Amino acid sequence: MAVRNYIPETLEEALELRRDEHAIPLAGGTDIMVQHREGIGIAPDVGKPVMIISNLAELKGIRRRDDGFVEIRALETPASIASSDIVPWHVRQAAARMGAIALRNMATIGGNIGNASPKGDLPQPLILLDAEVVVASVGSERRMLLDEFILGSKKTALRDDEIITSVLIPEKEFTHLFYRKIGTRRANAISKLSLSAAAVIRDGIIEDFRASSGAAGPKVIRSREAESLLTKRQVSEIPDIADDFIAAWDRAISPHAMPRYRRNTTSRMLLHFLEALQDETLTGIIG
Amino acid sequence: MRDKVVFHVNGERVEFIGNPMTRLIDVLRDDLGLTGVKEGCGEGECGACSVIKDGKLVTSCIMPVGSADGSEILTIEGIRDTPKGICITEAFRDGGAVQCGFCIPGMVMAAYALLEENHHPTEEDIRMAISGNICRCTGYDLIVKSVQLAAERGGRLWQ
Repeated sequence: MAVRNYIPETLEEALELRRDEHAIPLAGGTDIMVQHREGIGIAPDVGKPVMIISNLAELKGIRRRDDGFVEIRALETPASIASSDIVPWHVRQAAARMGAIALRNMATIGGNIGNASPKGDLPQPLILLDAEVVVASVGSERRMLLDEFILGSKKTALRDDEIITSVLIPEKEFTHLFYRKIGTRRANAISKLSLSAAAVIRDGIIEDFRASSGAAGPKVIRSREAESLLTKRQVSEIPDIADDFIAAWDRAISPHAMPRYRRNTTSRMLLHFLEALQDETLTGIIG
Repeated sequence: MRDKVVFHVNGERVEFIGNPMTRLIDVLRDDLGLTGVKEGCGEGECGACSVIKDGKLVTSCIMPVGSADGSEILTIEGIRDTPKGICITEAFRDGGAVQCGFCIPGMVMAAYALLEENHHPTEEDIRMAISGNICRCTGYDLIVKSVQLAAERGGRLWQ
């Protein structure tokens, strides 16, 4: 064995290993074990020490805090997130569509964020909701917007002595919610494209409008510029604003492969949501 | 820090001393001789290596044995001679679910995990439950019907 791998029993031990050996945290293993697989009968070799933190109880749990945030600890799985009634709707939808059942029982929210794939399922709705990530190192902790934590494809602001410990999602009520993941099949599909959108409409005024695109650039994309075109405007003005909004969103995304398909499909999903906002008979989850 | 991995496989205590990144499937097949656990894709996509860990279906080809520390693992060998295992096996036989058979241990484990949680699954529930298990022979319909048969025949067994 080229390098030593570890199983810390407490978060404290894990943080010390992270500081002293910069050991790579393995949570569910569903990315690391595939990326480093060597074949039958051979243990995956990451080339650096790995610490298997799958069973650290301190990193489990989902709870509603009294400061307006829902906290999901880093080792919670898509299965538990999808079945939680306190996790916001968009995040539950994305969790429920990840992989298939066995993967949803193994993968973790911390791993999905740390892997920072632009096609990762959970960062997209989390960034829509202005979720924050908490990272810890020996003796300290910092907290930042997930949108700022993920720097680009496979790149995060995680330092080599830090571990992702939890995700904090601000609780917010929306009058209109939309989520779509497009993959080649319903199970086990990596997203070709995904989109979340949400709005708050009261008395004909768009009080809040936001959207986030997954798999349409090096990281999850929100366009504050595009969102601001609709915010605080009247619903009746949407037909006049729609073209500018779609154009602004199209400038914000930068799909790498099949860009025309991804741009066209993204525009169609956004227009579908905008049309629903104008239909007074439609509220809640927009299908 | 753990210096060994201790867990239970089909009710028996197992101690593993070695690289905790060793794949669970390799420990099950090579060290414990549980060759009902099949390796298909080796990347968690096909479900042939499915086992149950603490009541939840997992793919043992992408799980390091270190993650299994402290857990209860159930393989097809562990359910084969139980009333529930026999119920599913007979339903698969009578329902014509099996052709080449390679995917079947994983399918049975997926069906077992489903029926433990949901005693009266709809066809959609069953299709969802086996959606991570790939079969290239049957086209799935007879497998779905056989799981339905196991649910009906098993009745109170699953409650």
